[in-house]
Parts: sequence; C-alpha cells; structure tokens
Amino acid sequence: MFVLLLVSAFGTTFAQHQLGNSRISGDFGFNGMYYIPDSLIGADKVDSKVRANAFINLLYSNGGFSAGVRYEYYQFPLIDFEKINYKGQGVRYFFADYKNDFIQVTAGNFYEQFGNGLSLRAYEDRQLGIDNSLLGARIRITPYKGIRITGVWGVERLNFESYQGRQDYVRGLDGEVSLGEIIPKMQEKGFTANIGASFVSKFEKADEPILVMFYPETDTSAPGVIATDKIPQNVPVWAARASFGYKGFRLDGEYAQKMQDPNVTNDFIYKKGDALFLSAAYSMKGFGVAASLIRADNMDFRTQRMQKTNSLLFINNIPAINRQYSYQLISNYSFASQPNSQIGAQIQINYLIPKKTKIGGKYGTNLTFNYSRFHNTDQQPVALATEYGTLSGTDGYTSSFFKFGPDLLYQDIGLEIHRRLTKKWELTLAYNYITYNLEKLQGHVGMMRGHLVAADLQWKVNSKHALRLEAQHLYTKDDKGSWLYGMLEYSISPRWFISVGDQFNYGNPDPTYRLHYFNVAGAFIWNTTRIALNFGKTQEGILCIGGVCRAVPASYGVGLSVTTSF
Amino acid sequence: MKKTLLLAIVMLACVAIKAQDAPTSQHLAKLPAVDIQTPDGHVFNTKDIQNDGKPIIVSLWATWCRPCVAELTAIADEYEDWVEELGVKLYAVSIDDAKTSARVMPFVNGKGWDYTVLLDVNSDFKRAMNVNDVPYMCILNGNGEIVWQHTSYAPGAEEEVYEVLKSLTSK
Repeated sequence: MFVLLLVSAFGTTFAQHQLGNSRISGDFGFNGMYYIPDSLIGADKVDSKVRANAFINLLYSNGGFSAGVRYEYYQFPLIDFEKINYKGQGVRYFFADYKNDFIQVTAGNFYEQFGNGLSLRAYEDRQLGIDNSLLGARIRITPYKGIRITGVWGVERLNFESYQGRQDYVRGLDGEVSLGEIIPKMQEKGFTANIGASFVSKFEKADEPILVMFYPETDTSAPGVIATDKIPQNVPVWAARASFGYKGFRLDGEYAQKMQDPNVTNDFIYKKGDALFLSAAYSMKGFGVAASLIRADNMDFRTQRMQKTNSLLFINNIPAINRQYSYQLISNYSFASQPNSQIGAQIQINYLIPKKTKIGGKYGTNLTFNYSRFHNTDQQPVALATEYGTLSGTDGYTSSFFKFGPDLLYQDIGLEIHRRLTKKWELTLAYNYITYNLEKLQGHVGMMRGHLVAADLQWKVNSKHALRLEAQHLYTKDDKGSWLYGMLEYSISPRWFISVGDQFNYGNPDPTYRLHYFNVAGAFIWNTTRIALNFGKTQEGILCIGGVCRAVPASYGVGLSVTTSF
Repeated sequence: MKKTLLLAIVMLACVAIKAQDAPTSQHLAKLPAVDIQTPDGHVFNTKDIQNDGKPIIVSLWATWCRPCVAELTAIADEYEDWVEELGVKLYAVSIDDAKTSARVMPFVNGKGWDYTVLLDVNSDFKRAMNVNDVPYMCILNGNGEIVWQHTSYAPGAEEEVYEVLKSLTSK
C-alpha cells in the first residue's frame, strides 16, 4: 500500500515534467467490478463481490538512458483473471536500458520479438492477462546501418509466482540484414529485401521421470515412464526468414523448426516440430490484396514442459491469421491459434470505389472481402505408436507437409461495405458465413455454422453530437442457436459516451435459456484519461485477441474502469 | 485493507488527472526514441518523426480497432485540405502484430489513406508512450513537443484536432 501511495506522491511531483533532458511519465489502469449472482446465465456467487485489477507504470528517460517499473495489484482480481491464476501483487516488471546508435543494453524485464515470432515472442496483452516478459538481459548491436544483432537471456514470467528456484530459462540470438538500407540505390529503385535468422533455446532441468501411458522404445522394463535421462533438457528452435518488396508488392516468409521436445501438450512425443508462415500483399491507392498461409505442427514451445494452461509460458507465438472481427455476436466463434496442428490460408481484398462516381457516391465506397479456412495438420501415427496404442514416448506421427488434415477448424467468408451517405449519415453493412469447430476449439460437441448480418448506422446530429446504431443477427441451428443484438450509442465529442445494448439468445434450443444480456454504459474522456461505468450481463464465452483466447465466465454486475497516462 | 486500496487508487487517479494540468510554461514532452519499423521492414526510430517544423499528428491504431479506423477515415475526408492549409503530416503507427501486420498496407491503400504508415509490431512504442488503449492520438508542434493528446474517438473529434492544428500554425 505504501508503495502505491509513495508512487502517487512521486507521480504528482514529476508528472509530465521535463526537467532538462530527463522526463518522467507513466500510466495507470483500474478495472473493478461489483458482482451480482444470476443463476440463469450461470454467474455464480463469488466469494468477494468487489474485485479489481490495477496497475501503475512509471518511466524515466534521459537521453539514451531509460528505466521503468510497474506495480500491479491483482490481489482480488476480476473472476476471469482468477480463473487463469493471474492473482497477486507486486513489482513484476522493472528495467534499465541504455541505447545509442551502435548498441542497446537492457537489464531487467523486457519484451522482444524475433521475426514474426515463430521462434521467440515475449509480449503482453493486459486484457487477456498475458505477460510473457523475460527477466534477464538483452543486448542489441547495429554494427552497420541495416544490420542488427540481438542476444537475449532470461527467465520467463509466470503470473505472480516467484522467480526464485526456477530451473528454466531462455536464451536466443537473432540477426537481421536489410539490404535496402545497405544499398541505397536499391531503395531508390523501389526494391527492398530483408533476411534474418534466429536461434532460441530453452533450458529446463529434468530431475524426475515423467509418468505417462506408454511403452518405451528401447527399454520395456519400466512401461509408463519416460526416464529422466530421456528428457531433453535443452530444446532448440531455429528460424529463417526473408522478405522482398517492389513498390506496392511485398512477399514475406519464415520457417521455423523445433527439435525434440516431449511435453504435455504434444503427448510427450519425440517428433520435431515446424512452422511455415508466408504472406504476399499487393496494394496501390484504392486497392489492396493480402494473402497469407500458415502451417504449424508440434510448435507449442514453452519454458516448462508440464505447462498446458492456455497462454502461459509460451516462448514463441504462432499467429492465427484469420481476420479479426469486433462483431459482438461472433466473438465467441473467433478462431484460436493451434500451434500444435494447423494449416490454413487467408485472403483479404480491400477496394475503394472512387469518390464522385456513380457507384462510389460523393465520398466513395469501401469494400472488404475476406476468406479464410483452417484445418488441422495431417497426422499418421508411426508404427510403434499404433502397436503400443499411444503416441507418448514415440516419434508420434508423420505428417505430409502441405496436406490438409481431416478436420475443418474454422472457415470464414465475409463481405463488408462502408459508405458515407451524406455529410451526416454513414452506413456499414456486413455479411459473414462462419464455420467453427466447437469440438476442437472449445471442447464442446459438433460444428457451429452461422450466418451473421450486421449493420452500423451513424447519424451525426451536429458537429459534436452523434448517434450510432449497431444491429446484428446471427442465424444458426447449432450450439446456443440464433442471437439478436442491438446497441445505441450517443456521443458528445470529445468527452462523453453513453450506450444501451441488448443481446438476445432468442433461438436457444432450450426455452429456459432464451435470455437477454442487457448492458448500459457511460464513459467520460478527458485528454488521456478515460473513466467508464457499465452495468449489465456478460455471457459465458471466450475472449480472443490476436488469435489468443481465454475463457470468460458469465457475469452480472457493475463495472468501473479508469485508465490514464501522464 | 480493501478500503485503503480503493482510497489509494482514487487518490492516484486524481493525481494522474491533475498531473495533466501541468502548466504549459514547463518544457513540454517530446516523443520517446523507440525503434519500430517501416512497412518495408526497415528499422525506423521514432525520433525521426519529423515534418520540417510544421505540425504532426501521431495516431496509434490497428486494423482490427473499429473506432481507430473510424477516426482515420473521418480525418481522411479532410486530410487533403489540412495538408494544403496547415502543412500537417499524419503518422499512422499501427500496433497490428505478426498476425495482421502484412495486411496493414493493403488496408491503408484499400481505404485510400494518404498517411505515413509505421509498424509497432510488439507494442514497444505504445509502451514507451504509456498508452493503454487505442485509438490514441497526439499532436506535436513544430518543435516536436506534444501539445495535445487524446484517447478514444467520438464522431466530430476531428474538429478539435483541426482547431488545435490551426492554433499552432497561426502563432
């Protein structure tokens, strides 16, 4: 508590003051809720009705030197954070950093990404409760303009658990060369080319055997046990990448391979894992097309082999490349990345029908088309696995590289039209057909096939006042059936928002559960401070950001959120 | 215990809000120097966000963020006039990560935006700017000092942006 008070006193004195070259800045967030039980929606009685997540960041910088500290208070966290064990309080992020044109040295906690993150990505997503920062050191050198070499060593953060006694750490090396920067002539002609490679290795002490249901290849004297000396303590991953661009055209690719890593998420197999990520894009003013392809097999790479909780202790990040929507009714059917088994592709086309044309209208019309499809990878158990009736302890399976597996995980076909009708009216219409594998992605039964129609109509009453209506309809016979959603938002720029909304599960196969989830919210914004209040119900589901998802329990109550930076 | 916590938090919030009232006679803050990327994949240091002594708008946004796109779309309708009249330059710093960063340029071009686009794929710039949520926008004066900043977007907010820019250039 004292820390917090001290910090606030400190904050007052120096906030946003630049004294000479030194500067202190920071940000603060508070997210609290008062919970009301509601047995119908499944919002259980919680032991502490008032809960909150809070943190404060302070940053100091002076020329090339910077340092920072974050204090987090999650002692009585929101129930969804408690579910993922993000509970505790203290300083879990602090660093000091020095940087000039040649070298950058960081000590303490840091975030880092090599290439697309297939080999290493330490990052944070506060809404999801993800913080994979590494505690250790990082050195980055730029020996020549366009060449960068980065080395890292660190222990990965695990919620609020102590770093003491940890027997695992990560080290990595990455090199990147931008030919366009080295050869200016190339850039003048519109060409760019970058190449890079990384090597990441985790060490985790193996001091006890792993008990699993299997029969070892070599030693049948102790069935069901992977002996300590058969567990790899070092698991390396290497990756190579290249990108090429010419004017509006760009091609990117990265391939990564993981060495033997028997762990709880892959059933303790000894097969090597690999991932391929390719993307191609072309754009010119008024038109853009982007296509990407991803294949990942056995690429769940974590600092602890027994960790299987979603989002904890990941060293790398296999992106889910589907289009990310903000439509309320399909938020529960958002594809989650499957690092151990996914192959799929995505294409998106953006087109602007020019303004002042017959079809484009006075302001032009935006069209977005999207298609994506993901399967699991093809997996054929090795002979030994078939013989023993289990994959564990064997090489697992073989997989032909570009073959789609038998299970469709996710498919999305979508079209979105946005048009400013007049100076005051603006309309967005969208249609999506979504196929979502409930069994593979949520552990429920079957598939969800649904049609989503959405409309977003905005009326600018005058220069500061605006009214916005969002209406959505999800039509499906699967899962919880069809839904309707409506939301009205009134805003007075730039300070005030007020909204009322309702989500109605009118098509639930069980009439008892044809429920309404209403929500009333208001927000006040002042420069970089935002204070929001809301009252309503949230259905049980999943929250996905960037293809990473976590479960959200049903809840009912009053919420207050305050964020600010200074 | 919980009451003390609440008190501390409320205090802190008040302090933070008050802190924004810091007198303008102080040296104004400049942008932090952070290495991010150009859409070509080159390293770009944010200290190089410049516009020959003319005002700059910096927007932190993402392709998946509805209000961000609404804000940049609203400004796009006026942008040509602003550039002509005030010589302003808008840097649209996308926080899209590897999942969607390859789609940023097709998205921007597909919208017909004329902004200077930069990529902050692991949110390093966002963190150094102490930004919690997008959309976030700030305006820099000719000396690169932050004179105005704002989070969220409500339709019509672009008019305040215009007013601020105008007051900068008329001085």
